[in-house]
Amino acid sequence: MQNTIKVERAILNITQDELAKLIGVSRQTINSIEANRYVPSTVLALKLSKLFNKPVNDFFILSEND
Amino acid sequence: MNTKRICDSERKRFDKIINFRLTHKFMNIGIAIVAISIITMFVHAFIMDSDTEWLKIITKQGLLLGMLLMSISKDKEEDEMTIVLRAQSYAIAFIVGVAYALIMPYVEFGVSNVVNSGGEAFKELGDFQVLTFMLMIQLMFYHNLKRYR
Repeated sequence: MQNTIKVERAILNITQDELAKLIGVSRQTINSIEANRYVPSTVLALKLSKLFNKPVNDFFILSEND
Repeated sequence: MNTKRICDSERKRFDKIINFRLTHKFMNIGIAIVAISIITMFVHAFIMDSDTEWLKIITKQGLLLGMLLMSISKDKEEDEMTIVLRAQSYAIAFIVGVAYALIMPYVEFGVSNVVNSGGEAFKELGDFQVLTFMLMIQLMFYHNLKRYR
Protein backbone atom coordinates (compact mmCIF):
# COMPACT_ATOMS: atom_id res chain seq x y z
CA MET A 1 0.00 0.00 0.00
CA GLN A 2 1.27 3.43 -0.93
CA ASN A 3 0.07 6.82 0.18
CA THR A 4 0.32 10.52 -0.57
CA ILE A 5 -0.02 11.77 3.00
CA LYS A 6 3.16 13.82 2.66
CA VAL A 7 1.58 15.69 -0.27
CA GLU A 8 -1.72 16.18 1.56
CA ARG A 9 0.20 17.45 4.57
CA ALA A 10 2.11 19.88 2.37
CA ILE A 11 -1.21 21.16 0.91
CA LEU A 12 -2.45 21.88 4.44
CA ASN A 13 1.00 23.30 5.28
CA ILE A 14 1.35 21.39 8.53
CA THR A 15 4.29 19.49 10.02
CA GLN A 16 4.34 15.78 10.95
CA ASP A 17 4.12 16.80 14.60
CA GLU A 18 1.07 19.00 14.00
CA LEU A 19 -0.67 16.27 11.98
CA ALA A 20 0.13 13.74 14.72
CA LYS A 21 -1.44 15.97 17.36
CA LEU A 22 -4.52 16.59 15.20
CA ILE A 23 -5.29 12.86 14.85
CA GLY A 24 -3.98 11.76 18.26
CA VAL A 25 -0.91 9.67 17.41
CA SER A 26 2.86 10.13 17.81
CA ARG A 27 5.05 11.93 15.26
CA GLN A 28 6.95 8.65 14.68
CA THR A 29 3.72 6.95 13.63
CA ILE A 30 3.08 9.64 10.99
CA ASN A 31 6.68 9.26 9.82
CA SER A 32 6.26 5.47 9.52
CA ILE A 33 2.98 5.83 7.59
CA GLU A 34 4.52 8.34 5.18
CA ALA A 35 7.51 6.03 4.63
CA ASN A 36 5.13 3.09 3.93
CA ARG A 37 6.51 1.15 6.89
CA TYR A 38 3.19 1.03 8.70
CA VAL A 39 -0.37 0.61 7.38
CA PRO A 40 -2.76 2.51 9.67
CA SER A 41 -6.05 1.17 11.00
CA THR A 42 -9.39 2.06 9.41
CA VAL A 43 -10.08 4.45 12.29
CA LEU A 44 -6.86 6.37 11.65
CA ALA A 45 -7.45 6.36 7.88
CA LEU A 46 -10.93 7.83 8.42
CA LYS A 47 -9.52 10.48 10.78
CA LEU A 48 -7.05 11.45 8.04
CA SER A 49 -9.85 11.46 5.49
CA LYS A 50 -11.88 13.84 7.65
CA LEU A 51 -8.90 16.11 8.18
CA PHE A 52 -7.89 16.21 4.50
CA ASN A 53 -11.57 16.43 3.48
CA LYS A 54 -11.03 13.71 0.87
CA PRO A 55 -12.05 10.05 0.52
CA VAL A 56 -9.51 7.51 1.81
CA ASN A 57 -8.96 6.18 -1.73
CA ASP A 58 -7.53 9.53 -2.77
CA PHE A 59 -4.45 9.26 -0.56
CA PHE A 60 -4.14 5.49 0.05
CA ILE A 61 -3.41 3.48 -3.10
CA LEU A 62 -3.17 -0.31 -3.30
CA SER A 63 0.10 -1.52 -4.83
CA GLU A 64 0.53 -4.63 -7.00
CA ASN A 65 1.64 -6.76 -4.05
CA ASP A 66 -1.58 -6.10 -2.07
CA MET B 1 -31.38 -12.71 23.33
CA ASN B 2 -30.07 -13.83 26.69
CA THR B 3 -27.28 -15.85 25.06
CA LYS B 4 -26.30 -12.82 22.98
CA ARG B 5 -26.07 -10.70 26.12
CA ILE B 6 -23.86 -13.32 27.81
CA CYS B 7 -21.60 -13.43 24.70
CA ASP B 8 -21.32 -9.63 24.66
CA SER B 9 -20.48 -9.57 28.35
CA GLU B 10 -17.80 -12.26 27.85
CA ARG B 11 -16.37 -10.35 24.88
CA LYS B 12 -16.23 -7.12 26.87
CA ARG B 13 -14.41 -8.92 29.69
CA PHE B 14 -11.90 -10.37 27.20
CA ASP B 15 -11.37 -6.91 25.67
CA LYS B 16 -10.71 -5.47 29.12
CA ILE B 17 -8.08 -8.15 29.82
CA ILE B 18 -6.46 -7.77 26.40
CA ASN B 19 -6.32 -3.96 26.56
CA PHE B 20 -5.14 -3.83 30.18
CA ARG B 21 -2.10 -1.56 30.60
CA LEU B 22 -0.61 0.18 33.62
CA THR B 23 0.09 3.90 33.48
CA HIS B 24 3.52 5.18 32.38
CA LYS B 25 4.72 5.85 35.95
CA PHE B 26 4.85 2.07 36.49
CA MET B 27 7.66 1.97 33.91
CA ASN B 28 9.87 4.00 36.29
CA ILE B 29 8.76 1.89 39.27
CA GLY B 30 9.66 -1.25 37.28
CA ILE B 31 13.09 0.13 36.34
CA ALA B 32 13.76 1.01 40.00
CA ILE B 33 12.76 -2.49 41.20
CA VAL B 34 14.95 -4.13 38.51
CA ALA B 35 17.92 -1.89 39.43
CA ILE B 36 17.55 -2.60 43.17
CA SER B 37 17.21 -6.35 42.49
CA ILE B 38 20.34 -6.47 40.30
CA ILE B 39 22.40 -4.45 42.83
CA THR B 40 21.21 -6.73 45.65
CA MET B 41 22.11 -9.81 43.56
CA PHE B 42 25.67 -8.49 43.08
CA VAL B 43 25.99 -7.58 46.77
CA HIS B 44 24.70 -11.02 47.73
CA ALA B 45 27.06 -12.80 45.34
CA PHE B 46 30.30 -10.90 45.98
CA ILE B 47 30.09 -9.16 49.36
CA MET B 48 27.81 -11.09 51.69
CA ASP B 49 29.20 -14.30 53.16
CA SER B 50 26.17 -15.56 55.06
CA ASP B 51 23.86 -18.07 53.47
CA THR B 52 20.71 -16.04 52.82
CA GLU B 53 18.50 -18.12 50.58
CA TRP B 54 15.47 -15.91 51.29
CA LEU B 55 17.31 -12.86 49.88
CA LYS B 56 18.13 -14.78 46.70
CA ILE B 57 14.46 -15.71 46.25
CA ILE B 58 13.26 -12.14 46.91
CA THR B 59 15.75 -10.60 44.45
CA LYS B 60 14.73 -13.10 41.77
CA GLN B 61 11.06 -12.31 42.32
CA GLY B 62 11.86 -8.58 42.38
CA LEU B 63 13.64 -8.84 39.03
CA LEU B 64 10.67 -10.67 37.48
CA LEU B 65 8.13 -8.25 38.97
CA GLY B 66 10.12 -5.20 37.83
CA MET B 67 10.44 -6.49 34.28
CA LEU B 68 6.74 -7.40 34.20
CA LEU B 69 5.81 -3.86 35.30
CA MET B 70 8.07 -2.44 32.57
CA SER B 71 6.47 -4.78 30.05
CA ILE B 72 2.82 -3.96 30.79
CA SER B 73 3.12 -0.22 31.43
CA LYS B 74 2.03 2.28 28.79
CA ASP B 75 4.42 4.44 26.79
CA LYS B 76 4.54 8.21 27.13
CA GLU B 77 2.93 8.39 23.70
CA GLU B 78 0.73 5.34 23.37
CA ASP B 79 -1.01 4.93 20.01
CA GLU B 80 -2.13 2.13 17.69
CA MET B 81 1.38 1.61 16.31
CA THR B 82 2.96 1.05 19.73
CA ILE B 83 0.17 -1.47 20.47
CA VAL B 84 1.03 -3.36 17.25
CA LEU B 85 4.76 -3.25 18.02
CA ARG B 86 4.15 -4.51 21.57
CA ALA B 87 2.08 -7.42 20.23
CA GLN B 88 4.87 -8.26 17.77
CA SER B 89 7.48 -8.19 20.54
CA TYR B 90 5.37 -10.57 22.69
CA ALA B 91 5.04 -12.98 19.74
CA ILE B 92 8.80 -12.92 19.11
CA ALA B 93 9.56 -13.34 22.84
CA PHE B 94 7.25 -16.35 23.06
CA ILE B 95 8.85 -18.12 20.08
CA VAL B 96 12.43 -17.32 21.16
CA GLY B 97 11.57 -18.35 24.75
CA VAL B 98 10.30 -21.77 23.68
CA ALA B 99 13.38 -22.30 21.48
CA TYR B 100 15.59 -21.24 24.43
CA ALA B 101 13.85 -23.68 26.79
CA LEU B 102 14.34 -26.49 24.27
CA ILE B 103 17.96 -25.82 23.29
CA MET B 104 19.60 -24.28 26.37
CA PRO B 105 19.63 -27.41 28.62
CA TYR B 106 21.65 -29.25 25.95
CA VAL B 107 24.02 -26.28 25.55
CA GLU B 108 24.57 -26.08 29.32
CA PHE B 109 25.09 -29.84 29.50
CA GLY B 110 27.59 -29.74 26.61
CA VAL B 111 29.51 -26.76 27.98
CA SER B 112 29.72 -28.24 31.51
CA ASN B 113 31.08 -31.47 30.01
CA VAL B 114 33.72 -29.59 28.03
CA VAL B 115 34.76 -27.27 30.89
CA ASN B 116 34.71 -29.84 33.71
CA SER B 117 35.94 -33.21 32.59
CA GLY B 118 33.26 -35.66 33.62
CA GLY B 119 30.67 -32.87 33.48
CA GLU B 120 27.42 -32.35 35.30
CA ALA B 121 24.18 -34.28 35.11
CA PHE B 122 21.60 -33.10 32.55
CA LYS B 123 19.15 -30.67 34.16
CA GLU B 124 16.21 -28.70 32.80
CA LEU B 125 15.90 -24.92 32.99
CA GLY B 126 14.12 -23.31 35.92
CA ASP B 127 11.00 -21.19 35.51
CA PHE B 128 12.88 -18.08 36.66
CA GLN B 129 15.52 -18.45 33.94
CA VAL B 130 12.96 -18.96 31.14
CA LEU B 131 10.62 -16.17 32.28
CA THR B 132 13.46 -13.68 32.78
CA PHE B 133 14.82 -14.53 29.33
CA MET B 134 11.37 -14.10 27.70
CA LEU B 135 10.76 -10.75 29.41
CA MET B 136 14.24 -9.56 28.45
CA ILE B 137 13.66 -10.52 24.81
CA GLN B 138 10.24 -8.80 24.83
CA LEU B 139 11.59 -5.55 26.28
CA MET B 140 14.62 -5.58 23.98
CA PHE B 141 12.60 -6.28 20.82
CA TYR B 142 9.94 -3.71 21.74
CA HIS B 143 12.62 -1.08 22.32
CA ASN B 144 14.32 -1.90 19.01
CA LEU B 145 11.08 -2.08 17.02
CA LYS B 146 10.17 1.36 18.36
CA ARG B 147 13.60 2.71 17.53
CA TYR B 148 13.49 1.51 13.91
CA ARG B 149 9.81 2.25 13.25
